[in-house]
Amino acid sequence: MAEFDEVNRKITIKLVYYGPAQSGKTTNLMRLHDLLAPDLKGEIMTLETQNDRTLFFDLLPLGFKTPSGWLVKLKLFTVPGQVAHDATRKAVLSRADGVVFVADSQRSQSVNNAEAFQNLEENVRRVGLDFSALPLVVQFNKRDLPAAQILSEGEISQRWAQAPWPLVFSSALIGDGVKETFARLLEQVYPALDKHFSLRETHGVDQQSFVVAVTGG
Amino acid sequence: MEINARTFDRELDLAELLASVPLARLAQMLAALLGGDFRLVTTGGKLILGNASPFAQPRRVVIRHDLEALGYLESVVADEARLAAAAGMVELMLQLSARYHMAAELHIETVQEDYAALQQKHAALKESEARYKSLSEELEARVKQQVNIIETAQRQLYQAEKLASIGQLAAGVAHEINNPIGFIRSNLGTAQQYVGDLERLAALMKAGDMAQFQAAWEAANMEFVAEDFAALLRESVDGADRVAKIVADLKGFSNVDQSEEEVVDLNDNLRFVSNVLAGQIKDKAELVLELGTLPRILCLPGHLNQVFLNLLLNAAQAIAERGRIVVRSEVAGNEIHIHISDNGCGIPEGNLDRIFDPFFTTRQVGSGTGLGLTVCRDIVQTHGGRIEVKSKEGEGTTFTVVLPI
Repeated sequence: MAEFDEVNRKITIKLVYYGPAQSGKTTNLMRLHDLLAPDLKGEIMTLETQNDRTLFFDLLPLGFKTPSGWLVKLKLFTVPGQVAHDATRKAVLSRADGVVFVADSQRSQSVNNAEAFQNLEENVRRVGLDFSALPLVVQFNKRDLPAAQILSEGEISQRWAQAPWPLVFSSALIGDGVKETFARLLEQVYPALDKHFSLRETHGVDQQSFVVAVTGG
Repeated sequence: MEINARTFDRELDLAELLASVPLARLAQMLAALLGGDFRLVTTGGKLILGNASPFAQPRRVVIRHDLEALGYLESVVADEARLAAAAGMVELMLQLSARYHMAAELHIETVQEDYAALQQKHAALKESEARYKSLSEELEARVKQQVNIIETAQRQLYQAEKLASIGQLAAGVAHEINNPIGFIRSNLGTAQQYVGDLERLAALMKAGDMAQFQAAWEAANMEFVAEDFAALLRESVDGADRVAKIVADLKGFSNVDQSEEEVVDLNDNLRFVSNVLAGQIKDKAELVLELGTLPRILCLPGHLNQVFLNLLLNAAQAIAERGRIVVRSEVAGNEIHIHISDNGCGIPEGNLDRIFDPFFTTRQVGSGTGLGLTVCRDIVQTHGGRIEVKSKEGEGTTFTVVLPI
């Protein structure tokens, strides 16, 4: 759950981009850095990569001041997607307030997507979170690839029809759907935050202004 | 693990972020850059570096990290641009320090995680090892138990095989004794009749009526009676002698399970066993003895009798209808060879290697234990000898018992 710092009048929220290796998690973060215009935007911090593949994590800090004068700080993390880095993935996932699952639209990646999703479910449970209550958005990335290579939107929507999570199609490389994905996650995260920190009552932040403040409209 | 894991992504304050920076050198550099005294303080006013006492009217720049103001850099002498540049440099340092902190603490977290997972695995492995250990101990005990049961059963079977041949022998002996007993009994009945005749004649003789006596003498055919009486007494004595001999020979078998060695002529044993069996097999086979002169040897005669009996019984069984069994003994070098040959069905070549194996039998289940030849081989081997076999299917088999002199 988000950190609540009474002394420094600060609420820190942790959001995690999860998914199979090379599905575009870091690219999502980089696009967000370019696309968003919040009050406060930090630099992307990239910790150790090997051949452009994340070994530890990437971090993008965003924030805004509430009318009540509090700082709401969002830390966006990516996890390393490679199977071997499960302990790191688990540590990054700890205390997450919301998760974007970045799936790879390529037909050849269906199995990897499924395994990564299962891994997410397991790790959520292992770090003591409730999977059924965790705010989650599923993003199918790489829609810019040739149609023959990727699953059609129809196929994907049909497969995920029974799932309760919002489904967004994106091309992180181009920038399509990235901001939308993030906005959908913020909408999902808001109710729990409001419940715990009475964002609306005490801090004068409703759901819409929350999303606008973080994304810059 | 002794290192206490702190969450890698926790918020760090100014002091923590500068903990790994050599502060004395940083102070020197900042002083040089800013042209004199300076103060680095937290947003709460706590001094981190520089002049201990607050300045009266300083110029100050915010030090930011991760969207937040963490403190101020204050100077009296430095101009705005210099101060901003110095603050920017401190911010860069904080950024690098934060990276280091996060990476290091994430590393610790994952190492601890891996270590905990390893410990769990280790505990699970230990547990399963203990389980397997107790399982294997249990199995070992059970195998021992089973081996004991099997060994006991084998001993019992082995014993049963010995007793079975004694049973065969008993049947033969009964037959042999029954014969003379039968005719002795019948002779004695006739003798009783003759004694009655004699008593009657004696009474007539006392009366003195010689004519009547003479007539009765003729009627009783006493000439024949006198002759026959003598003959049947002679026969009966012979029969009784035969019984006595059989009983004497039987002593040879009475010590089947004793291991007292005696010096014997094995021809006597062969004769005895043949005699005992002759009655049983006479319908099937002609039993021929061709016994050469043998030196007397020290052996367990009861045990060897059993060997001969078994081999003779096998020979008889190999003969389907009418056949011939030859028992031949001879000296060859410093060995005694005893051949027991039949002209029966023979043993298929494929079985020859196995006939001495325990429980190998070609007879129907229940009609043999498959231990007969095993017992024979064991007995001959304890005498330092061996059993050889030659056989041709359809022509017959010869077993040769070889014993050292």
